[in-house]
Amino acid sequence: MLKLLHTADWHLGRRFPTFPEEAQKKLSRARMDVVVRILELARRHGVHAVLCAGDLFDDQAPAPDFWAGLAKIFHDHPIEAPVFLVPGNHDPLKEGSVWSAKHPFRASLPAGVHVVDRDDFSYEITPEAVLYAQPCRSTAGQDDPAMALPEREAGDSRLRIGCVHGSTFDMPGYETDFPIRREAGVLRGLDYLAIGDAHSFRDVTPNLSVPTVYPGTPEPTNFDEPGSGKVAVVALFRQGSRRPRVEAASVASWTWIDVRCRDMNELRSLLTRQDLERHVVRLHLDMTVTLAEESELTRIVRDLEGTDATHGRAGILVVDRTKLRVQTGSADAFPADLPPVLEDTVARLNRIVEGSMVEAEKERATRALTHLYKLLQQQDDLPGGVR
Amino acid sequence: MRLHRLLVRHFAAIPDVDLAFGPGLNVLYGPNDIGKSTLADAIRLALLLPHTSTACEPYIPWSGGEDPLVELTFETEPQRIWRVRKQFGKRGSSLLQVSRNGVDFEDVERARKVDAKLRDILRWGIPEPGGSGAGKGLPTSFLATALLSTQANVTDVLNRSLRDDGTLSGKSQIAAALEAVAQDSLFLALLRQAQARRDEAFTDKGAKKTARGSVFKIAADRVKEAREEKERLEKIVEESDEVEAHLKDLYQKRTHAEGELAAAEERLVAVQLLAGQVIAREVAGEAVESARAEVARIQGIDQAVAEAEQRVRDLAAAKEQAEQNLKAGKAAAASAGDALVSAEEQASATGSDMAETVARQGLELQKLSAEQAVEAARRRVEAAIRVQEKVQAADRVEEEHRQKEAEAASARERRAEATQAETSANDALRRCEVLERGAEARIAERTVASARAEVERESALHADSKRIAAERADLAERRTALVVPGAAILPALRKLETELATARGALEVGFVMTVIPTSLVALQVRKDGVAVVPTTIARPLVIEADAEAEVDIADLATVRVRGGRREAQDRARALESRRAAEVLPHLVAAGVEDLEGLEEKMTEAKELDSRLQSIDVELESLGRQLAGFSGAAETLREASERSAACRLALEDETVETLASDLDLLGPDPSASLRARRQQATRDAEAARAAVQESATAQALAEERTRALRSTLEAARADRDAALLAFPCGLASEIAAAEASLRAAEEDRERVATELRSLQSRMAARKSEIDSVLAQVRDAVDEAQRGVETAQESLSKAIADHSNEEGRLVERRRQRAAEDLPTAECALRETTDRHDALPVPERMISAEEVTLATEVSAKARQALASLTEEILTTQGRLQQVGGAIAKDRLRQAVEAFELAEQQDYEIETDYEAWKLLLEQMKEADADQASNLGQALAPAIAGRFEALTRQRYQNVHLSADLSTEGVFVAGEVRSPDRMSVGTREQLSTLYRLCLGEYLQTTVVLDDQLVQSDDVRMEWFRGLLAEKARIFQILVFTCRPGDYLTEGARVGEDGMVCVDGDEGFVRAIDLGRALSGNSAHPKVSE
Repeated sequence: MLKLLHTADWHLGRRFPTFPEEAQKKLSRARMDVVVRILELARRHGVHAVLCAGDLFDDQAPAPDFWAGLAKIFHDHPIEAPVFLVPGNHDPLKEGSVWSAKHPFRASLPAGVHVVDRDDFSYEITPEAVLYAQPCRSTAGQDDPAMALPEREAGDSRLRIGCVHGSTFDMPGYETDFPIRREAGVLRGLDYLAIGDAHSFRDVTPNLSVPTVYPGTPEPTNFDEPGSGKVAVVALFRQGSRRPRVEAASVASWTWIDVRCRDMNELRSLLTRQDLERHVVRLHLDMTVTLAEESELTRIVRDLEGTDATHGRAGILVVDRTKLRVQTGSADAFPADLPPVLEDTVARLNRIVEGSMVEAEKERATRALTHLYKLLQQQDDLPGGVR
Repeated sequence: MRLHRLLVRHFAAIPDVDLAFGPGLNVLYGPNDIGKSTLADAIRLALLLPHTSTACEPYIPWSGGEDPLVELTFETEPQRIWRVRKQFGKRGSSLLQVSRNGVDFEDVERARKVDAKLRDILRWGIPEPGGSGAGKGLPTSFLATALLSTQANVTDVLNRSLRDDGTLSGKSQIAAALEAVAQDSLFLALLRQAQARRDEAFTDKGAKKTARGSVFKIAADRVKEAREEKERLEKIVEESDEVEAHLKDLYQKRTHAEGELAAAEERLVAVQLLAGQVIAREVAGEAVESARAEVARIQGIDQAVAEAEQRVRDLAAAKEQAEQNLKAGKAAAASAGDALVSAEEQASATGSDMAETVARQGLELQKLSAEQAVEAARRRVEAAIRVQEKVQAADRVEEEHRQKEAEAASARERRAEATQAETSANDALRRCEVLERGAEARIAERTVASARAEVERESALHADSKRIAAERADLAERRTALVVPGAAILPALRKLETELATARGALEVGFVMTVIPTSLVALQVRKDGVAVVPTTIARPLVIEADAEAEVDIADLATVRVRGGRREAQDRARALESRRAAEVLPHLVAAGVEDLEGLEEKMTEAKELDSRLQSIDVELESLGRQLAGFSGAAETLREASERSAACRLALEDETVETLASDLDLLGPDPSASLRARRQQATRDAEAARAAVQESATAQALAEERTRALRSTLEAARADRDAALLAFPCGLASEIAAAEASLRAAEEDRERVATELRSLQSRMAARKSEIDSVLAQVRDAVDEAQRGVETAQESLSKAIADHSNEEGRLVERRRQRAAEDLPTAECALRETTDRHDALPVPERMISAEEVTLATEVSAKARQALASLTEEILTTQGRLQQVGGAIAKDRLRQAVEAFELAEQQDYEIETDYEAWKLLLEQMKEADADQASNLGQALAPAIAGRFEALTRQRYQNVHLSADLSTEGVFVAGEVRSPDRMSVGTREQLSTLYRLCLGEYLQTTVVLDDQLVQSDDVRMEWFRGLLAEKARIFQILVFTCRPGDYLTEGARVGEDGMVCVDGDEGFVRAIDLGRALSGNSAHPKVSE
């Protein structure tokens, strides 16, 4: 039996511009850390080879921190099995790219790590198993990289594994992302076709004898990637005896979730969840709150996301407030013993909220009331506060 | 403001006085009519009256003479000391000076401008002199009245307000002063924080800060950066889309070009078919002609044989004639020879050497014989060479014939191969058609499956839609049943309920009522709205109630007792009315009893509204999805029909049997099949052309072979006939002939040599007889030539006869080899074949074939060009990015939207801070502008203390007019107060203003109607306030303001200071009498 670990789409060096700077760093570092876990997993399973099917860097010329960091990981966590790195459409093999022969990254790789830098790349993993692979040489292309692999010759009874990067989504005549036809594995006489590009784990050909598998990205890059955070552990049996067994193994450190709170109770219950520290939480506040509730909401959000001094309950938090509405004008919102001038201020702002026909003006007045409410609360909270 | 010094000269009854004031309380006392009010007036005139005003007339000295002069020194702020000097009257003048130290003064304004400047300095609400708001006489205002009111108008301040002021400066000054003192510490703290937050983002003038590092700049930079990145990627994606669109266009063009090429090739095939038919008929026609020529040729051979036989007969006759001629010539020659012999014998007989002559004759005869032998040998050699040439010619023709036969065989092979290729190509074409129908059937089946899935999905969506619509109807029904007001009204209703509860509470005072009957009487009692069992009493009945009791006494009367004051009851009733009007309808409509119930209903209604809204969104989404499935059933029906039609078109084949072949066609079977069909069409066409070409080549080769075969046979006959003459072989004959020739030539040469030798010897002798013999010899020669001529004619005749006989033999052999019936049969067959060939629909010209070929070539060229452009465009697409660019654009768009959202949040947040600050300031200003609210508490507090809580809550309007004082539950107008109280209230009011404005207040016998107790209280108040601001009291009763020890002693001093300098007593009696006004500090 031949065992493989198949992974892809590491996207090292990926940026997350919609996140705060600290969160960006966390997410970026996590993509490096997951490589260590992948190698450890490969060692535990005693695989015969590690196939990395493209898009390992987010760009063809990543910052030195990433390629040097990756090389260091390979050195610090050596495994016996050979590792094969395939350039994908995000990091195509071009002149000056990280994969080019002259790039210092190549020189820094250990001997067991092989870069697929030829169109006719092949490697005899064992005498009974051979790997065929092809690199992407541009960011887009219409040729099927899997169909470019050599056909099985008559009498060849070895296990034949293919490893390419491309998309199985096909529309005749309009493929731009290295289209891979589903029957490619069968047509090329392969026993397993390892591909990369899609970020969710998927066996593309469950009904065919030759599995064509996307392992997905080992660390999610977005909220809409169900089934990501995995690698494929593949067991191949004697050629032609039975279909290879493909299992997904989780390696991600971050779980990305969307949480929608429609009232304060739902929001409060978030604080009781114990597992949020390894989650990237996108919190949708879809509710209407009073000024007092808004103040509590702010405190809860601060507890979730942390401050300069404290860790947040959630690993990373982004808050969507577009559906958060603050209801002003509540009689008991402000203390009864306010000085007249402040009462007047509140009344004025309430009049704007209730009377203005301009939504932006209402919004400003509502926020002004919120500011005032919080200022008053801060005064109460201060030792020896004015009130 | 604080007064330093007052100098008055020639002013009414005051000739000259110079007073220095202390910083606190200055009590200027003296008996009546000493001029206290005049001095107070002097201060007013110095500050307010233009020196040109006629209002100064009352102050012109009674004694006449000098014009009144007033000089007042005052300080408005530290080191800002003013001195105004006015001389009233005809020679009047004004001068305003300023000083920092009170010693060195500088002129500021003179004459008319002095008053304008003064009013600007004072800010008492008095307009500039001569302005629209200026009146005649001594100008006045609320502040002028309050700070400098005259003895005659002690309470004037209670009757005035800021509304009467000519300008707003007085109000502004009071507002500013009150604002400074009235601001709440909490408010100030919040104001400072709001200001700080506002200042983070806005300049002092309210503009957004856009400098580096400002919040707006940072946000704007972030947006700009995100926008630039987004736009950059949009350009890339746009370019990528453009390239993809171009590629798509190219693919369509390629499909079109392929169609055009197929059409062009189809047309070319049709044209070539017609052309082939034309050519076939032409070839058949040629074959007919060829057969006809063959028959004619054989008939020609027959003719040639007949002609040759005739020529042989003619030549035989000629030969016989030549033989006869030869015989006659030889006879003549013999005769001539005999004559020559006779002549030579005669010559010899006449003296010549006979032997030499004989020898010479013998040699000559030998020579003649040798020459004849040479000639005969030469002819023999030539005849052999001619035969040899015939042999060689026959060999050449034979070789050529072999070549032509080989060519014909090759052409036949090529034709067979081309025919085989054509058959294969046609088979491939038929297979393509089957696969095309199969692919079409498979696509149709997939379309059916897809359409069926859509129909099923549509059904599922319909079911969902119905279920949700039913749920919505249920919710809508529940919501309709809930009649509740808007959420905003609830606080007001609660407030009303609270107020009503409070009002009701105020009525629950509790009381005990006793009914004491004088006789037995029937009573019906209701306590607090609850009826008590009717009873009849004869003894007193005690009734205890909380708020209300009602007793019906027989039919005589009803006694109703209610707790609380009338106002409270009125208030409770009013609130109950309001509740009935404002609260109850909502409760009734909602079917609840209290506000808690109403709130629950409102919450329920809100939840229902939210649910309904959510369901509406869901329904709308379902509607949109269903709209997307419109026509799915029709699509399914069409797809099913199409699929059935496709399967029918497959005839013996099925999609399943074709599946493996179709699978091999790749993701785009149509394209693959199209390519395959085009290839097969091209192959078939090429094969068809090759068949035609090879057929033509074969026909031509065979025709040439046939033609050459005739020539070959003629050559062979000629050769064989010639060779008959050489039974020993041509080579040996040639060799023998050449050897004979060489021997004859040698013999001839030898004889000639001997003859030349003999002749040289005989020459001398011969010359003699030559002339004799010449004639004879000529005759002999003539006869010999006749013999030779006859011999040549005979030889020629023999040769001609032989040749002609040979030709005749050849002709006959040739004719014997021909088969005229077969040729005639071939002619008939070719004619039949020609007639059997299809007649083309129309004649095809070479130009037409050429044109079709060119069109096809152009279409092929266009397709090749498009294919090249597609490759180039694919290359471009590889450069511009494809899916990656879109992925990065998606990230950039998200980042841009986030940046914009953050920008909006920051802007809104800071705009909110700005708004909050503005509203706080406006509220604060409003509070301050409602000066009455700010000022009243201070006055009321003191007034309350003064009157020992008899009076409370002084009511001042926003413009500081005095509305009254709350006393005994009502607001009492000042007019309804006693004079003394009014004076006291007025004084307190004026002192409060003076304190807030930190300015001098002049009290001219202000409290003459106050009792000792209140004067004592006032004295304490004045002493306290003296430490805060300056007070000038003109009084005839110094004891009211000064303790005994605080007055000026008997030492002749005009004034004395006490209470640490904050109280100064000025004895006006002494001052006006010219004593020094320097202060003396009391002990």
